[in-house]
Amino acid sequence: MDSTSIGWFSLPLAILGGAIRVSTPFIFVSIGELITEKSGRINLGLEGTLMLGAMAGYAISYLSGSPWLGVLSAGLAGMAFGLLHGLLCSVKRVNDTAIGISLIVLGTGLAFFLGKPLIEPKAPPLPSIGLGFWSTVPQVRAALDVNALFFVGIALAFAVYLFLNRTGWGLMLRTVGDSEDAARALGFPVLRVRIIATMAGGFLAGIGGSFLSLSYPGSWSEGLSSGQGIMAVALVIFARWRSVNALGASLLFGGAGALGPALQGIGVTGYYYLFNAAPYILTLAIMVASTSRAAPFADAPGELKLHR
Amino acid sequence: MTAPQVELRNMTKRFGANLALNNVSLLIRSGTVHALLGENGAGKSTLVKCLVGFYHPDEGHIQVDGREHRLNSPKDADALGIGMVYQHFTLVPSMTVAQNLVVSGARLPAYINWQSELRRLAEVTKKLPFHVPLDVRVSQLSAGEKQKAEIVKQLYLGRKLLILDEPTSVLTPAEADEVLGHVRSLTRTGVLSAILISHKFHEVRRFADDVTVLRRGASVRTGAVADLTDDALAEAMIGEPVSKIVQHAPKSPPRSDIILSISDLRVNGDNGLPAVKDLSLEVRAGEIVGIAGVSGNGQLELVEALMGQRDRSGTMTVSGSPFNGTRREIARLGVYGLPQEPLKNACIDRMSLAENLALRNFDRVPLCRGIAMNYGALAQQAERLVAQFRVKAPSLTASMSTLSGGNVQRAVLARELTQDVRLLVASNPTFGLDFVACEETYRRILEARNRGTAVLLISEDLDELLGLVDRVLVMSAGRIVHEVSAEGADKRVIGKYMAGMKAA
Amino acid sequence: MSSISGIEPGPSSPPVTAAQLGLALPVLAVLLASAIFAAFVALYGQNPVTVFGLIVQGGFGSSFAWQDTLSRAAPLVLVGLAVAIPAQAGLVIIGGEGALVLGGLAGAVVTLPFAGAHALPMQLLMSLAGALIGGLWFGLAGVLRQYRGLNETISSLLLSYIGIAIFHHLTEGLLRDPASLDKPSTHPIDPSYMLPVMPGVGVHAGLAASLSLAVIAHVVLRYTRWGFALRVVGGSARVAKMMGLAVNRWIIGASVVAGGMAGIAGAIEVAAVQGTANSSLIVGYGYSGILVAFLARHQPLAIVAVALLIGGMQASASLLQRRLGLPDATMLVFQGLIFVCVLVADAIAQQLRETTRR
Repeated sequence: MDSTSIGWFSLPLAILGGAIRVSTPFIFVSIGELITEKSGRINLGLEGTLMLGAMAGYAISYLSGSPWLGVLSAGLAGMAFGLLHGLLCSVKRVNDTAIGISLIVLGTGLAFFLGKPLIEPKAPPLPSIGLGFWSTVPQVRAALDVNALFFVGIALAFAVYLFLNRTGWGLMLRTVGDSEDAARALGFPVLRVRIIATMAGGFLAGIGGSFLSLSYPGSWSEGLSSGQGIMAVALVIFARWRSVNALGASLLFGGAGALGPALQGIGVTGYYYLFNAAPYILTLAIMVASTSRAAPFADAPGELKLHR
Repeated sequence: MTAPQVELRNMTKRFGANLALNNVSLLIRSGTVHALLGENGAGKSTLVKCLVGFYHPDEGHIQVDGREHRLNSPKDADALGIGMVYQHFTLVPSMTVAQNLVVSGARLPAYINWQSELRRLAEVTKKLPFHVPLDVRVSQLSAGEKQKAEIVKQLYLGRKLLILDEPTSVLTPAEADEVLGHVRSLTRTGVLSAILISHKFHEVRRFADDVTVLRRGASVRTGAVADLTDDALAEAMIGEPVSKIVQHAPKSPPRSDIILSISDLRVNGDNGLPAVKDLSLEVRAGEIVGIAGVSGNGQLELVEALMGQRDRSGTMTVSGSPFNGTRREIARLGVYGLPQEPLKNACIDRMSLAENLALRNFDRVPLCRGIAMNYGALAQQAERLVAQFRVKAPSLTASMSTLSGGNVQRAVLARELTQDVRLLVASNPTFGLDFVACEETYRRILEARNRGTAVLLISEDLDELLGLVDRVLVMSAGRIVHEVSAEGADKRVIGKYMAGMKAA
Repeated sequence: MSSISGIEPGPSSPPVTAAQLGLALPVLAVLLASAIFAAFVALYGQNPVTVFGLIVQGGFGSSFAWQDTLSRAAPLVLVGLAVAIPAQAGLVIIGGEGALVLGGLAGAVVTLPFAGAHALPMQLLMSLAGALIGGLWFGLAGVLRQYRGLNETISSLLLSYIGIAIFHHLTEGLLRDPASLDKPSTHPIDPSYMLPVMPGVGVHAGLAASLSLAVIAHVVLRYTRWGFALRVVGGSARVAKMMGLAVNRWIIGASVVAGGMAGIAGAIEVAAVQGTANSSLIVGYGYSGILVAFLARHQPLAIVAVALLIGGMQASASLLQRRLGLPDATMLVFQGLIFVCVLVADAIAQQLRETTRR
């Protein structure tokens, strides 16, 4: 694609395109974590789930020839890992934070181990939809070449909104996460709900991971994820536990993550690493900003015990 | 809907050695409000928990409308239309009132069409004498509205016997009047019968038809409210002084030096609202000042503020010097404490007994020289204190969590009272202790007093207080509402102030 | 266990003491993890006995293996301390990787202006520089926790990523040695400043430094009033406040010291192994250190033993690769399994401790 000269306009375009791309895994992981946290648990082990999902998705896509089957398998792998997290955290007196960290190690280890044979082969990537077909400018086309999973993500955000607000299951989930007393008084199976919620979170995180390896051009390597799992936890706080907010926040994070490559694209090579650190800096900044408000955890599910 | 008549007969319940309910019988007439009066620990909540199926009584019968029933679980109580409105809300804070009603309903629909649900809920709640906004989040409701929402929830669920556990403890007088007024009109119109647990006489008098007074698990008085005077109620609630063998050293007149001086103290509770309001008091050397009151009136927050665990505004000085709770000030000014629930509030449960005994002086000679700790000295101190205060434990190195409650308290006494104590802040120090441990604690506190220590004793046990203190203050709703010298104090008057009466 | 004189033991003196439990359960956990790992490799067509044999051989089977293990253990001890010290104060800080690399960078550049000086003051200077930077990094997490209520686990991990980014930026930019073409590095330090190899042991002096620091940490935590106060704060900040301890200062202080440990680890890696700061510093010591600390129950002396174990496992990875074709990640899986099993064992131990109440 030869680039038409469109001057400075190419930078925001690149950021837009990059934002959409980088935000996609964030959408899935953060909404998955949102569901888990709505039930009253925090899953810090999502980093491991992401890698496992990326590996499983790539492997199945390669073996079956269908990237969508890969995405599904990634979700299932993530769900299994979520089940593990849920069960482990149900042991009385166990340290939830430490369990999360241990699962990062285990998940990453499993992903790297099982993924060793996948570094060379080429798996069919996920299709993208060229929304920029109306333009003749290559940069516009590139920016608007949106991965199919992104649209699934948008639908997901709204579906989860409906789930949490319009279904009996969603209300039960919210009760369990907001007030264990009320949930028990109503006879809700608290432990079971939390484990299922963690499994659902793992499923979505796995799908988010599959994007990392299956989005065009698609490849598997050991450096695919770097902190998205942890950032997702901060993102959920920032989004005030609302799935549509999480969508917007993911785009924001995506933009921050796309900053580096976009700037490189227009020839700004000086601060490459610092720009790539933008998402982490952004996460810290929003965490500090969140806790500076008068009632920072007003919207938090009560059972997360975030109110100090 | 006809309001039921509920009769409880011979209800008895034991928790280990503790006889929580002792052959209690009472009759709730159809369409009436029946008040349950009593101090903390009298057995009120045990009794109603039997009625809602949380506890199984060891003996006793429950009859609803003349038919005997076994209540094995909350579901059985549900089926009989018995419901309880708790002191602490069981609404889900992040959901709206409407969502709470739907989630509490018997059948939780898979898909909820909010428009039709809201309409249905509006229909149902329209018939009620008071209204709660349905689409406001519970966390944004005032305490009074939350309480009303809880009642609405019970009515929505079709309850016929409503148990209200101290429903107005978090309400303003106006809100309390409104809520209880509605409950009474619902009983008068035969919609339901109600049990009102309260310690406030004016509430009982204005809103209840019948009353039963519980003391130490037994029913001491039962009858129509109209037939009982406030004095009779107070006497029944507090009772004659039990012949406790409290060794009173002759009450020497207090010295003139003021040790503790608090002015305009304001402390916020966990919910951000003021729990202690403009409180001022003084304690002199060699005097024990008691603060009486029903729990939940700000005592906990007051103690935490005094101990440097909670932020406060206002001034606090000890022997004239400002006190902010630093370790140096504590040692220099001699401020020590005996909090309630000592394992949680005065000990590190994962550290050993010997180490816990050293929490006050681990950084001083002889336990420490320079920066090096002398564990031999620490163990010696522990041995000495354990023998002196008769603390029973598997060993000195056993973790604190393995000691029984009484022994934890003994250990805390040992640690705190063997320092150079000028001011001692004690909060329900004998709660949960056996008789002997109680006596020991009293004796030690009196000894300290006689040595010139200023003692501030906060207690919910009025008997204990009056046996020990020189002066009694009554705390209610975060303020000191009454002050009287212990000599010749009238318990019934104090009881009335504790119960929130404005004037004796 | 004898009871205190004059006082009879209660009816339910536990048959197994807490101390015995404290030792037995982690060992059982490692055994369980080993069993699961054995099944895992068996599924991959490998003989578990062969695998374990190679792990032992690769880590501890020859003097060469021991040297490899020991030189890996040196930074692991320090990064383990970096997790364990805040844990005594009740914090879970896992940003060791970032503090380590930044400390290494600081160590690598701080002696560059000095030529021809004596080795020892330069080595101390490097350690100091590493400690300061690392201490700053962890201290930041501590401050954010105490004054802003930020979860220190999340913030320390974020700071770690940011630290690594800063490291890359500086080593490839401002501080880059133009002569380093394939792998961007800082100017190499004066070879005379590098830490010597200890005669007889065959490992650099950094090992002695880390062991010393572990012993010092042990002594401070166990035998000084600082360690006592820290444990009080970690046991219950609430009760610590009642005792008049300045909780904020203790927590932030512990964070700074811990970060200093990680920073020194980085400085030592530069001063003893690399001689320069580049991406070879980023090998995941920070993360392995987390496992070391948890497995050692945050006790400094146990950290030494566990660091040897984990170091040996990591040293054997290349042997497993050569002989059986098993990837490096195999050890990561084993470590993850051990980590999970130890945490569950810890939870059970805690439950048992609480049910021996009378």
